[in-house]
Order: sequence, then structure tokens, then C-alpha cells
Amino acid sequence: MHNQRHWGYIFTLPFVINVIVFLLFPIVFSAYISFTQYDLFNPPKWIGLTNWINVLKKQEFWLSMRNVSVFALIFVPIQTALAFLIAFLLNQAALRAKSLFRLFYFLPVVTPWLAAGVVWSWMFNYQYGVINWFLGLFGINPVNWLYHKSWVVVITSIALVNVWKGMGQSMVILLAGMQNVPQEVLESAQIDGASGWKQLTHIVFPIVTPMVYMVMILSTISAFQAFDVFLGLFGGITTGISEQVMVPNLTIYRDSFLLFKMGPASATAWLLFFVILAITLFQRYFEKRWVHYE
Amino acid sequence: MNKRTPLFLKLLLYVLLIAGAVVMVFPFVWMISTSLKTVGAIAEMPPRIIPKPLDFSNYETVWNKVNFARYTLNSFIIVGLDMVGALISSSLVAFGLAMFDFKLRNVIFVVMLATMMVPGQVTMIPTYLIWKQFRVLDTWYPLIVPSYLGGAFGIFLMHQYMKSLPKELYESAVIDGCSPPGIFFRIYLPLSKPALSALGVFTFMGVWNNTVGPLIYLQTRSKYTLPLGLLFLKSENVNQALMMAGAVIITLPVVIVYLLAQKHFVQGIASTGLKG
Repeated sequence: MHNQRHWGYIFTLPFVINVIVFLLFPIVFSAYISFTQYDLFNPPKWIGLTNWINVLKKQEFWLSMRNVSVFALIFVPIQTALAFLIAFLLNQAALRAKSLFRLFYFLPVVTPWLAAGVVWSWMFNYQYGVINWFLGLFGINPVNWLYHKSWVVVITSIALVNVWKGMGQSMVILLAGMQNVPQEVLESAQIDGASGWKQLTHIVFPIVTPMVYMVMILSTISAFQAFDVFLGLFGGITTGISEQVMVPNLTIYRDSFLLFKMGPASATAWLLFFVILAITLFQRYFEKRWVHYE
Repeated sequence: MNKRTPLFLKLLLYVLLIAGAVVMVFPFVWMISTSLKTVGAIAEMPPRIIPKPLDFSNYETVWNKVNFARYTLNSFIIVGLDMVGALISSSLVAFGLAMFDFKLRNVIFVVMLATMMVPGQVTMIPTYLIWKQFRVLDTWYPLIVPSYLGGAFGIFLMHQYMKSLPKELYESAVIDGCSPPGIFFRIYLPLSKPALSALGVFTFMGVWNNTVGPLIYLQTRSKYTLPLGLLFLKSENVNQALMMAGAVIITLPVVIVYLLAQKHFVQGIASTGLKG
């Protein structure tokens, strides 16, 4: 540490500007807009709680919250479980070609969402999709994955694509955690006759619980902010996505940049933020029950 | 599992991992395969993995007629400018936080960590209004300027790295009469290469794959980046082969960068838990 204070301010100045202009001001202003009627062209008009009440009264908001919650409930457990399993398998000392496997599992993470979306929507195609063709080999009737009458089917399909895209990232974090498990401990457990399953549940899992927790928090937050996956699969915000499967970030984007209803859009954005915050705090509360820190 | 692991368990291990890897990689295979099909062959049942006949004309159409050549150039320019900005600004700010003791240091540090938690959708609308005030909508400025002001992730990464360098470096340079900017540019920046390359890769991936930003700010077709170009193709409902050719073009550069920089990328994620 050095006492040339002014240099500290000079070096950090860009970030201070960044925080004031692109963080503090937007937060305050976004809160303000949520209490106004504002269409970008006329000055904002104060209307109190009207936007908030209207958003909460509309069925659309609750539909989008239902969809995004179900999306997260499918996506987070499946992704975490698969990432844990793959990381555990990749961590086996006997395994050859580890880095090649890791590469394959990680590839979707670096792939642009739009590319992933167009190829999955093509594979999901009702008539010509390769998935329905494959299921047909086993006598399973074709499923209209992305445009099914039932919203549960559509949300599940989207969530599974999200698992494919995001699993590698969780896997890498969990793998890093597992590499901290001392190999000698596992070996001596094996000599004492502990089965692979016992080693997994009694040694590996407890040690990596902080990583599992982190992975779950990060993927829950990202699930509630889902946007790109919808854009990639459906090719637009107003085209093809039915009201029945909308999620909050889509309605926020549509209300603000297509319909110019900045007030309701800002109120929805804040509501989404509060929901995410509440869920994160909730997960934190239960953290103590199962996460072990050394 | 060690050498005494029973053979059938080893076999099971490989079967599971290979089956999983096939699921992970198949969409890429299918993307490439479809991109090489003629319009007639796209809907062929049963589907072929190796197209017959092989048709490379989709790439030519997408590259020239749909102007992916232009979008690719645009994407590379924006990514390049953002990488320069992110590397310089993040390391400058990190150096300031790591080396000097000043009153607001801790405040700035806490705010930096807090910014990672503020969701994009809350700040999105006011940020748009700021750029509207500056009259730079439908330009690349909103996509480039912020990276020159330092991002929380990059600063954090650089800060942790610079902190790990020995303090004597700074002290002996001061004794030799070097000024702080001199110390930064001549000593700390060159020594931070590993962290800089990690940040460089993250910035490349983040900017290259960014869809929301360009979607909000760009209207003129000739200014589009690749993700917007592909979104445009998708919304026009062109045939699948063309769309997949576009998807291959947008995926290839990130995959190459990832293969070249795999080590930095994976370590960065493992150590911070974040992805740029």
C-alpha cells in the first residue's frame, strides 16, 4: 500500500465514471420511471403506483412468472445433477483422454446462443426434425416440442436446451472442486472397503458442497433471466412465442423497445429483481443445512 | 477408481461418458451436415449425416448475398475494440485498487462486487436513454465505450493477479525514480500477461456472443453483428440449410479461440465461477 492518494483516484477514475453513469444513475432512474407514464417521446408523467398495480393485476405477469419458475425448477436440478455426475466421472483416475471429454462437454458453453438456438429449433422440427425421426425408430409418435398445445412441454424442451448449453460451465466448477479431494483419502477409503457409491456420498459430495451451492445459485439466477434461449429458438420476441410460454425478460423487452411502455417495463424489471433476490436469500437460508465449509 | 477397478466398471465409465459426449456434440454435427445439403435433401427421410450431394453453395449465398461477410467484419471490429478497452481499463483500475491506499478504496471495491449482482434488465432501459441523449443510437458506441471504463469482472480478475505479484517490485521501482504510470506500463502490465490473456478470451467470447446489446442499439442492416444477422435470417424463415451455414460461420471463430486458449478459459471459470 502506498500513500500517493491522488494516484489511486486517477487510476480508478474510469470505473468511478462507469459506476455513476451506467449503474447508480440507471438504478435511480429506472425506479423513477416505474412510477411514471413514459413513452420515450413525451416527458415522463408521475402516476404513482399505477404501473406496479397494473402489472401485478395482469394475468400476463403471473403467467410469465409461472413459466420462468417451472423453467428454473426443471433446468437447475437437471443441470446440477448431470454436471455433478459428469464431473465425478471425469475425475476418475483411471480415465484416459480427460481433456478431450472435457472439451466435448464444454463446447456448447462457448457457442453463441443464436447458433445453438437455430440448430435446436431445427432438430425439434415437428415434421423433419431429427429428434422426432429418432424417436420414431422406437415407435414413439412425433412431438411438437416448441409449439405444443401444452405449455409444460414447450417450457421443458427449452429448459433441456438450456441444460445442454450450460452444463459444461457447472461441470468445470464442480470438477475444480473435486480435484481438491485428496486422492489418498479416496484410496484409503477404498482399501477400507468403501464402495464407489459410499466414496461419492460420504467423501466427494460433502467436500464439494460449497461448489454445488455456488453452481445452483448461479444457474437459478441465470434461469430467471432467460432471454437468449428464447430468442435463438423462436427467432424473435413477437414472432412465434405464444403468450402461454412468455418469460419476464421477454415481456420487459417487448414492453420497452417494441411498445415503448417504459413504466410497466421498469416495474416488471424491478419485480423480477425482487423475485430473484428473494430466491437467492431463500437458498442462502437453507445453505447451512447442507453446505460444509472447512 | 484405480488400476484395480473391475473391468466392467471401467467400461461403464466410458460408455456413459461417450454417450453423453455424443449428445453434446451431435447438434454441431447436425449443424454442419444440414449446412451442406441442397434444399431438396434437407427434408429427406431418413435423414443423412453425410449429405448427398455435398452442396457448398449455402455458404456462398450467406456470405455474399445475405452479407455475412459484412457482419463478420463488424463483429471482429467491435470485439477487437472491446478487447483493447477492457484490457487497458480493467488493468488500470485494478492497479489503482491494488497499489494505493486512499479513502474511497474500500468503497469502490465493495461497489465493484455489488455491480456483479445488479441485473441487466433493471439498468437496460435507462442506459438506452443515456445513449439516446447522446444521439448515438444505431451506432456502435453503446457497444464499445463502456468497455473502456472497466468492468467489475475484469477488474476483479486483474486485481487478484496484481495482488499476487511481490510488493518489492513496486517499491524498488519507486526508489529508482519511476512514476506510478511508468511502473504500471513498464512493470505491471507486462508481468500480468497470464491474467490479461484470460480476460482477453472472456471478453472475446462475451462480446462475440452478445445478442441483446446489438438488438437494442442497431437498426441499420449494414451495422449488424453476426448474431443479429443470424436472427434476421431466422425471422425471415429462410431454408434450414442457409440458416445452418450462418450458424457455422458464427460458431467457428469462438470454437477456434476456445481451442487455442482453453487453459486460460477453463481456469478463469473455475477460479471465479463466472463467465465474463
